[in-house]
Amino acid sequence: MSEKIYSLLLRLYPSHFRARYGSEALQLFRDRLRDEKGFWASVRLWSDLLLDFAVSLPQEYLSVRTEFVGAAPLHSANGVPSFYFLEPELLRPGALLFGALVSSLAIVTFSILLGHAGGYAERAGASLGRISGEPGLSQSQAAEVSSAANERSPGEFKGGAGLDAAERHRVVETAALILKQHYVDQENGEKMAKALVQHEENGDYDQVREGATLAAVLTAQMRNVSPDRHLLVAYSEETLPPQPDATNADPSAESLAGYRAAMQRENCTFEKVAVLPGNVGYLRFNSFPGVAGCRKTVEDAMDSVNSTRAIIFDLRENRGGDPAMVMLLAAYLFDHPEYMYNPRENTTEQNWTRSPVSGNKLADKPVFILTSRSTASAAEHFTYDLKMLRRATIVGEKTAGAAHSGVWHRIDDHFGMGVPETKAINPFSTADWAEVSTEPDVQVQSADALQTAVRLARATIRKR
Amino acid sequence: MPKRKLDPLPAAAFQILLALAGEDLHGYGIMRQVSEQTDGRMRLGPGTLYSSIQTLLEAKLIEELEEREDESLIGVRRRCYRLTSAGRKLARSEAERLADLLRVARAKKILRGDYV
Repeated sequence: MSEKIYSLLLRLYPSHFRARYGSEALQLFRDRLRDEKGFWASVRLWSDLLLDFAVSLPQEYLSVRTEFVGAAPLHSANGVPSFYFLEPELLRPGALLFGALVSSLAIVTFSILLGHAGGYAERAGASLGRISGEPGLSQSQAAEVSSAANERSPGEFKGGAGLDAAERHRVVETAALILKQHYVDQENGEKMAKALVQHEENGDYDQVREGATLAAVLTAQMRNVSPDRHLLVAYSEETLPPQPDATNADPSAESLAGYRAAMQRENCTFEKVAVLPGNVGYLRFNSFPGVAGCRKTVEDAMDSVNSTRAIIFDLRENRGGDPAMVMLLAAYLFDHPEYMYNPRENTTEQNWTRSPVSGNKLADKPVFILTSRSTASAAEHFTYDLKMLRRATIVGEKTAGAAHSGVWHRIDDHFGMGVPETKAINPFSTADWAEVSTEPDVQVQSADALQTAVRLARATIRKR
Repeated sequence: MPKRKLDPLPAAAFQILLALAGEDLHGYGIMRQVSEQTDGRMRLGPGTLYSSIQTLLEAKLIEELEEREDESLIGVRRRCYRLTSAGRKLARSEAERLADLLRVARAKKILRGDYV
């Protein structure tokens, strides 16, 4: 065995060396093998041999080269110099065969690997599809879906096991229709719809008996066409609530009136508006209330801190609200219209602050925003953009990371679909807050955030 | 064909010349003799050994003898190598060069005593 290995290794030497000394070298190897018995002796033998290869192989090839490079014309017959010439070494048929074998092996390996890579993508999609409670569902719906997913154990299946062709067809057809009508990128929406219909025609769903599996498969297949994490088909074992009125439609007059009345009672969630010692303005508000009912309240609040030398927005309990209010507040912080990115809306002129605000003196004052893990949605919109625009120092904790709104579409009693319907392009290089949350500039416990911000504000004021 | 460089004489080549100074040896014999005369510090692998032999042959410092049947191993034919007078001369001049070095080393007090 070891002799065979060695004779194979010997083939690495140039052919002239092999022809002359190959058999002698092999004989020497045999002699040593015979004389040096035992484990350590053979370890030494092989280490000797490998070292020998490392040293003598390059030497052997190099010496052949230098021989010819250094060869000067030796004779000149009647003034014409004559040279040695290299004997062309013909390739052995065995070498050709070996080469062919190795290259076909490489091709086969690559194609297998490529096939696998495709498979991974699909599997990754499928596993994503099982994540329930995605943004895009309302909280209660998400909870329902995720609880359905959690309870997915074989014995407990009631509605899931008996999925028939008619229901499958209905689900696929409706999903395709929703995609065509509502998906933000119309072209991709149609592609996805076509893919789903095609898969059904191919009979790919015929073996699917469980609702949750069908939902996961559909989700994965949509995402194969366009990788959108916020797009999903979900399955719920319990009957889903009826589709609420079109989410985009204007709320009815009485619910609007009720909301406004509540906002008035709660001072538009502005809990505290104050000027702290050191002339630091402080605003604590727990939502971004609708502009229609609260414009006056908010404008008054901003006026009352207009003469301060720094301003602190306390968003630690702020769970979000109206993007228009984000714009209204941000307008005070710039002396020129500034673009505020919102991943939930396509860009319109609404995305530009209406700066400057007449009589406002805050456009060049330092701004601090207090955050906590509960700071969410519109509050993150405000925080993220001001951080990215380097207009505010964020003090506190990482925010919740809840950017995406999608619309919930009911397919039937057990299936539903979350579809993001708008998407704007992020002008900032980093991911928006749904993907990574917004990191504070100064990381402190949310309880200590105010104290820290006040200290920072005073220090900044002193420096100016 | 132009000669390969043996100047300076590589250690392996010098050891082979020394090994052959006593008696004619085949490849494995040379290897064992070199190993013996260096207290096992130098074990020439086949590649190094035969490329050195090739170089020495081309420089006519050693010569090869007729292939002969090995006396102790049946069916094994071996080729022995013999030192030529040019080889002996080169080995001697190399040894003298080393002796000169030794003298210098002694003069600089690197080596003490007068052994070797």
